[in-house]
Amino acid sequence: MEELTPREAAGKALADLGDLRKDVVVVVADTGETTRARFFAERHPDRFFNVGIAEQAMAAISAGLAYAGFMPYALTFAEFMLRAWEIIRNSVARLNLPVRFIGTHAGFSDPYDGPSHQALEDIALFRVLPNFTVIAPADSCETYRAVMATAEVRGPVYVRVGRDFHIPATCDLYKVFEVGKGYVAADGSDVAIMTTGQMLGYAIDAAHILREKGISAAVLHFPTIKPLDLTLLSRYARAVKAIVTVEEHMVHGGFGSAVAEALANIGPKPLAMMGVKTFGRTAKSPEELYRYFGLTPENIAARAEELISLAR
Amino acid sequence: MIMAAYDPGIHIGSSLSVLDILTALYGTGRLKFNAHNGVSTRNYLILSKGHAVHAIYALASLFGYLNQDELRETGSLGSRLQNHPEDDTPFTDVSNSGSLGLGIGMAVGLALGLKLKGHAGKVFLITGDGELDEGISWESMAVAASYKLNNLIVIVDHNKAQLDGFSEEVLRKGDIAGRFRSLGFFVQVVDGHNIGELVKAIEAAERSEAPSAIIAETVRGRGVEGLEGSTRQRVPRDEALEMAKRVTCR
Repeated sequence: MEELTPREAAGKALADLGDLRKDVVVVVADTGETTRARFFAERHPDRFFNVGIAEQAMAAISAGLAYAGFMPYALTFAEFMLRAWEIIRNSVARLNLPVRFIGTHAGFSDPYDGPSHQALEDIALFRVLPNFTVIAPADSCETYRAVMATAEVRGPVYVRVGRDFHIPATCDLYKVFEVGKGYVAADGSDVAIMTTGQMLGYAIDAAHILREKGISAAVLHFPTIKPLDLTLLSRYARAVKAIVTVEEHMVHGGFGSAVAEALANIGPKPLAMMGVKTFGRTAKSPEELYRYFGLTPENIAARAEELISLAR
Repeated sequence: MIMAAYDPGIHIGSSLSVLDILTALYGTGRLKFNAHNGVSTRNYLILSKGHAVHAIYALASLFGYLNQDELRETGSLGSRLQNHPEDDTPFTDVSNSGSLGLGIGMAVGLALGLKLKGHAGKVFLITGDGELDEGISWESMAVAASYKLNNLIVIVDHNKAQLDGFSEEVLRKGDIAGRFRSLGFFVQVVDGHNIGELVKAIEAAERSEAPSAIIAETVRGRGVEGLEGSTRQRVPRDEALEMAKRVTCR
């Protein structure tokens, strides 16, 4: 799975799901090729529908298909999915229909097309909707497992997927992907770096940097942002001196906010929320954008160190 | 009108324009008040102009599926007769159609799903002319035409009015029949207050190889002096009770 790109892993999972379940249908908005939903279309052409460049229709038609008893997967770029937000709210979330939205090219994974294509708000906008499950896998392995796992979720789901860039980190981290479960990528006692999506690789690197400085950093990976694994979160939140959240998303309303909301209930801890605060940029590579927006292992380590010193 | 008197929040003008269309569908047994999920041969109704749901409540009461006391509770917190079709609203298939255009997409998805399953039932989609301003309406109609969904029968309640006034003054609609026809729909234009004409058009639509659009020429507030032909949607209680005495059937 590691050799596939995240979007290819999503496409492969759909094609495999189509073999397992006859109720799976796929709807795209002229994005069969770009989202790799084509893999499903090649194996299951009768259950593949292209509605043209029309995200709103994609969402509502998927809702109608769910109403008819199918389990629709709707795929387009994460950013364009947001155009259908109100439709998703009223036709899918309110009716609690089993529609799965897979937004590809999320975060900075499409550097070439610039801010118009870079979804940095999608976690916030899906997280706010009642009934929704929100998942942001870290790499191709996890993308495949997560998409396969969505078939067992009762209500609607949003899966945030990258384009081609990923740092493989989860293939050997665990055997089974469980929706709603967080995973310990590294154990530690001074600080907990909590992350979601594609920042996991950098979070692990940051923990290494900290370890060399004598700081014990745990790395907790939460592929499911909603529902958040509160058991894991509170276990570490009580034990460490400080928490750093890292996400390839706006800090407002995203994963960091979800952690902050949880901490407000569990008991406060010094918290640094790392992410972005404005729109993206056109660039040559995702790494270039991570550096531009300060999302590097060095910066994550520096924030953690700073926070621990303040907490003392 | 009694519902309007008890709840000044309802859209009485729109409910009156669509009433004859619904009568043609329920009166001929195409739609049933007691039909619900799971029947593979039955027809489906999507009232995409969900604010006119009171027309269904009125008919249900007339056919004996609702008592008049319950009608008076419409729009109340505890009532299942909500002012747009909701999850617990009786007699409507796809609920949550209060946001305009949304029911159109859902109807197309439902028709696509029923066809994929090989079900024989038809999807009757009732939309307003104002609702056709929404981009999703035409996005969805193009899909219906592309996938040749002849189990979809669109009925446009062409009452020529929307929230801000007469439709043509708010925003040009162009040739509505022509817009459908150019996509490949089988289009019929009928008097939306003539049950005979409506039923005949529905029968022809059911036989069509292409998806159907019936443009039903209607009048807002039909049958109630003081409302008919105006863009008025809401009426104060006293006026509604006064108007109830002057309801005419034609």
